[in-house]
Amino acid sequence: MRILMLALLAGILAMGAAGKPKDETPHYKTAEAKHFATAEGVELTPAFVDYFYAELRSELTKSKLVNEVIGEGEAVEAADAPQSLVISGTITEYKKGNVVKSTLIGFGAGMRSLKMDADVVRRGDNQNLCVLHVHVKIDPRWNEKVMAKGAAHEMVREMKKALAESAKGS
Amino acid sequence: MQTKTTMPLRGSSRSITTTLAVAGLTWLACPWANADEPKPKPENTISIQLGEPVLPQKFEHPPKFWIASVTDRSGNPQPMLVMKERGGVFLDKQPTEIVKEAIEQSFKAANLLAPDAESADLVLRVYLFHFGLAAGSGLDFFGKVEFSIMVKNAKTGESQEVKAVGTSIAKGAVRKKNMQKNVEEDIEEALHDATRNFVRGTQLKEAVAALSKGTEAVPAATPSAAEAPRPLSK
Repeated sequence: MRILMLALLAGILAMGAAGKPKDETPHYKTAEAKHFATAEGVELTPAFVDYFYAELRSELTKSKLVNEVIGEGEAVEAADAPQSLVISGTITEYKKGNVVKSTLIGFGAGMRSLKMDADVVRRGDNQNLCVLHVHVKIDPRWNEKVMAKGAAHEMVREMKKALAESAKGS
Repeated sequence: MQTKTTMPLRGSSRSITTTLAVAGLTWLACPWANADEPKPKPENTISIQLGEPVLPQKFEHPPKFWIASVTDRSGNPQPMLVMKERGGVFLDKQPTEIVKEAIEQSFKAANLLAPDAESADLVLRVYLFHFGLAAGSGLDFFGKVEFSIMVKNAKTGESQEVKAVGTSIAKGAVRKKNMQKNVEEDIEEALHDATRNFVRGTQLKEAVAALSKGTEAVPAATPSAAEAPRPLSK
């Protein structure tokens, strides 16, 4: 009886695993991340943009969304172009935050915040695959580069989601 | 008759004595607090190598390259010191040498390296702006290699600039051994990335195409611009 129950349980688990929806995210050959531009009035150093670029590439590699993450301005073979992505964007807003406000008021007041928009384009035909809007907030006492790390992670997560949705729709 | 009495320490003297004692103990407890500038030793020296050469892109008319020089323009007074903290991490060679070897190795793998300067079609002068670690979030290591290369046509004297940058993010570490290993891998990855960015970049492709056009336009009989006396520019 016990063996029968165990076999039944194993069967149910196996059916559940098989029935689980597969990851719908399409797989791409290459992705090229470009250095993000900064909008007028955004007081961020070029070092921040450099670091964000590196983090974005690192997150793209970790996401396994693409086979290879190439550097900015690298040539791609014509055959691979339809299966390649180009990610470019702009940092639209940056607020330094306020330590006093953050400590006294709390509840998100005085937080350091960063907003950025990005376009994901297919290299072959320049078709826009998705537009991403990312907004990250951190404690004003933290290093601004921690924010870059968070923003890169969030951007790749959003991108993966958007590409999966667009693949489902088509 | 005089009697000797022990004079008790006054408040301020007592606090100074306590402060000095604490400072002394801290100084003795932390070996790195009294250490001088980090010095290169075999145990804190890493070797950066490209590893597998990066195969360059295919050119319509494959030219032969020659690296004439690599100049350090980073402004770093200690280019071999990669990391100052925790006893320091040093490179075993100058960054200029490492970069030169990496580019040469890649061109050699595709048979695009000229045996000497005379037989080269394009002469490269590399200007290194950054090699090693850059300021990151503090949670990880941010490796960066950045250089600019002047590609010069040996016959016409025309030149064009090509920029390349390579970045890498590696995990932070607590143990010194792991930290050194992560830093080494991080810089190697950044070097590999920068070399690939250069040899497979569209900038190099455009530069080679533009400079080869110049060679095709010059008739074989006429003396090249490189031989002709050039006016002094001020």
